Amino acid sequence: MKKPELLAPVGSFESLHAAIRAGADAIYFGVEQLNMRTKSVPTITIDDLEEIANVCKSHNIKAFLTLNTVMYDHDMQLGRKIVRKCKEVGIDAIIASDFAVFEMCRSEDMPLHISTQANVSNIESVSFFSSMADVIVLARELTVKQVAHITSEIKRRNLRGKSGELMKIETFVHGALCMAVSGKCYMSLHEKNASANRGACVQNCRRPYKVTDLETGNEMVIDNEYIMSPKDLCTIHIMDELIRADIDVFKIEGRSKSAEYVYTTTKCYREAIDAVIDGTYSEEKVDGWMDELSKVYNRGFWEGYYLGRKLGEWSSIPGSIAKEKKVFIARCTKYYPKIKIAEFLIETGQITPKDSLLVLGRNTGSDSITLETLVVNGHPNDVATKGDKITFPFELPLKEGDKLYKLIENHG
Amino acid sequence: MAKIIHYRDKCIGCNICYELQPEYWRLSRKDGKATLIGGKLKRDNYVLPIPDHDIVKSQEVAEHCPVKVIKVFL
Repeated sequence: MKKPELLAPVGSFESLHAAIRAGADAIYFGVEQLNMRTKSVPTITIDDLEEIANVCKSHNIKAFLTLNTVMYDHDMQLGRKIVRKCKEVGIDAIIASDFAVFEMCRSEDMPLHISTQANVSNIESVSFFSSMADVIVLARELTVKQVAHITSEIKRRNLRGKSGELMKIETFVHGALCMAVSGKCYMSLHEKNASANRGACVQNCRRPYKVTDLETGNEMVIDNEYIMSPKDLCTIHIMDELIRADIDVFKIEGRSKSAEYVYTTTKCYREAIDAVIDGTYSEEKVDGWMDELSKVYNRGFWEGYYLGRKLGEWSSIPGSIAKEKKVFIARCTKYYPKIKIAEFLIETGQITPKDSLLVLGRNTGSDSITLETLVVNGHPNDVATKGDKITFPFELPLKEGDKLYKLIENHG
Repeated sequence: MAKIIHYRDKCIGCNICYELQPEYWRLSRKDGKATLIGGKLKRDNYVLPIPDHDIVKSQEVAEHCPVKVIKVFL
């Protein structure tokens, strides 16, 4: 049985070190604005490439750079600069879906992986890409049988990549899924002019919707208001089946997630892969990993399309259901970027110091915070209630209308 | 006088400002980001005074910027 590599997402140096500590074999990340998570995480720059390459080399893991946004003519020079810098500092490969980037990698002799954005779903496409790439990240909509067929055909045909090694297959094992085929979504572009394919997704699929009859104004009842927000992919309970499918690389989604998320997911999958290989994989262990995975950000889990189930596993809230329930408290009224202070108006309920809070920001995603000191209407106080304005330091620039929640234990 | 401010660092080079108002915007071939033509660098951001008759169009550009790095101050 072949032991697959575990590839972890990195959106910051904190996540990089979390992935290494948790036992990743490789990490992937994006730089500058040519990055599918450019809006949701602080940007890693070209100047950081050398440090990331060095950190990875010193820990003996591989580093892959994703350069898989839609590319326009004005991006060519930056694209070439990034590819050259990757080559120079020793990044192991570039993950891409645009033909221009394929050509840049060819001319710089930079190893290339084909991104899931290219939606490769059959052996002939793998064969097509074998002249220029070594690894294919398959479309997320394939079943485990379809994946196994592709991996067995690679061996039967002795299909070798550009490096001369057998072509490798990479698949997603954990993390967010979306409505669109392998991430090619234009909903955010249509509604907010913010292209997901340039890393600016506003996640409008994650919000609740209702259907209204425009003639009568009647609202139609839908079982689940979150009709466009699938649950997250989780395959830890079918790890043995995926390993038998002879997949070379298991990839975790989540470059915009926190370092704790990267650590927990990477550690669980590290242990699960090792357990399958050494024959100690068991239901009890799976239960333990599921428990750990459900503590960090998730929209509820299903195993994606691997077992042939139709997309019918919808999330039930816009954010995480991670063992804690969130209660809406306040809305952001102002953010002072120079001093990095956020001001929120309490609209309902109350908060006290040391409450666990969650900020859901349009541009900042989700952040858990605990306020040691509660500043209410400009003065320290023990409690803040409806109508009060609270202020606290917050690193990321919040927008008016961003929401603040209190986290309480979720009893279902 | 009204002015456009461009917080250029966070620009993702989506192209929409150039599409809507090419007289004020171009896309840099060097780094792929939008450039405010004639903008003066002030504290990491670019500032350009604009005549009143360009305010409405410039506000439309600011509204369309997906990462909201363009602002119009009156």
